[in-house]
Amino acid sequence: MLMPRRVKYRKPHRPKRRGRAKGGTELAFGEYGIQALDPAYVTNRQIESARIAMTRHIKRGGKVWINIYPDQPLTKKPAEVRMGSGKGSPEWWIANVKPGRIMFELSGVTEEVAKEALRLAIHKLPMRARVISRESGE
Amino acid sequence: MADKIVIPATKRTEFGKGAARKARRDDLIPAVVYGHGEDPIHVVLPGHQTHLAVRNPNALITLDIEGTEQMVIPKAIQRDIIKRSIDHMDLLTVRRGEKVTVDVYVEVTGEPAVGFEWILEQNTVSVEAEATHLPEHVTIDITDRDENALPEHIQLPEGVTLALTDLESPVVSIHEPVEQDLGDKDEATEGEAVDGETAEGESGENAEGEDS
Repeated sequence: MLMPRRVKYRKPHRPKRRGRAKGGTELAFGEYGIQALDPAYVTNRQIESARIAMTRHIKRGGKVWINIYPDQPLTKKPAEVRMGSGKGSPEWWIANVKPGRIMFELSGVTEEVAKEALRLAIHKLPMRARVISRESGE
Repeated sequence: MADKIVIPATKRTEFGKGAARKARRDDLIPAVVYGHGEDPIHVVLPGHQTHLAVRNPNALITLDIEGTEQMVIPKAIQRDIIKRSIDHMDLLTVRRGEKVTVDVYVEVTGEPAVGFEWILEQNTVSVEAEATHLPEHVTIDITDRDENALPEHIQLPEGVTLALTDLESPVVSIHEPVEQDLGDKDEATEGEAVDGETAEGESGENAEGEDS
């Protein structure tokens, strides 16, 4: 699963969720992609789950690109613990995704297979998203 | 070549984000026309008509700027990232017979040899062509190929030449299928992964100490 090997600070503040994606809003590698329509924290498990859903559907052939990286730790206090006593321990690794961001790209399969694979992957993600293609994106 | 696309344009007299937003509300697209060392002309274009015209990113458009006709090609198109509507366009003036360099899409035709799969490595390639005869796309035939297709294998229409500096990078890579990681291992060792994360976190703490 994707996660950084080491980080400068273990328990940073939660990243800001306002605004739209500043970059990574166009297809860069593949012919089809998944574009986020809402802001969300996407965990490394969700990214992996979406990738597996895609690769399972396309069976063989094709190439998948993951354009987001879960480089931010989120912390959580244990259950039934009183407030105070410091910040909780890192629990998740997340990518801070903003609307417009292309999260996954896919190439080398037919349009039908690509759209279905990406639809299945969208179901693994925590926000509204849509499938875009090179033709429709222009 | 498609029919001549003529779009009426009106010169802009008001500038800035307020005027631009007002134009967009009225289904108009702010644009700037420049080229050949002449002064830029700021115009507004009808939204729907322009949208249809630039479905081909290298469309040759004839602007009717208040009675004066000017041939242009889209140089840059700024779009809203969610709605995909056009926010602003840069239009480059061209003359008949002038050669311009543009990026065109690559279309792959055919299927590679049995047992091979293909990946389009370069979605677009730079070509030089006469401004009035810009191709919508170039095709590359990979029928029965078992090795990478290079820029030299692109089928170019007449009067079009490649404007690439790197002629060695494959346009379409053709290779035997590689086994995909379907995540079966991860599911089996999911419980261990949690411990792995904790261990990662602890090592991260040490790393923090080292840095500071």
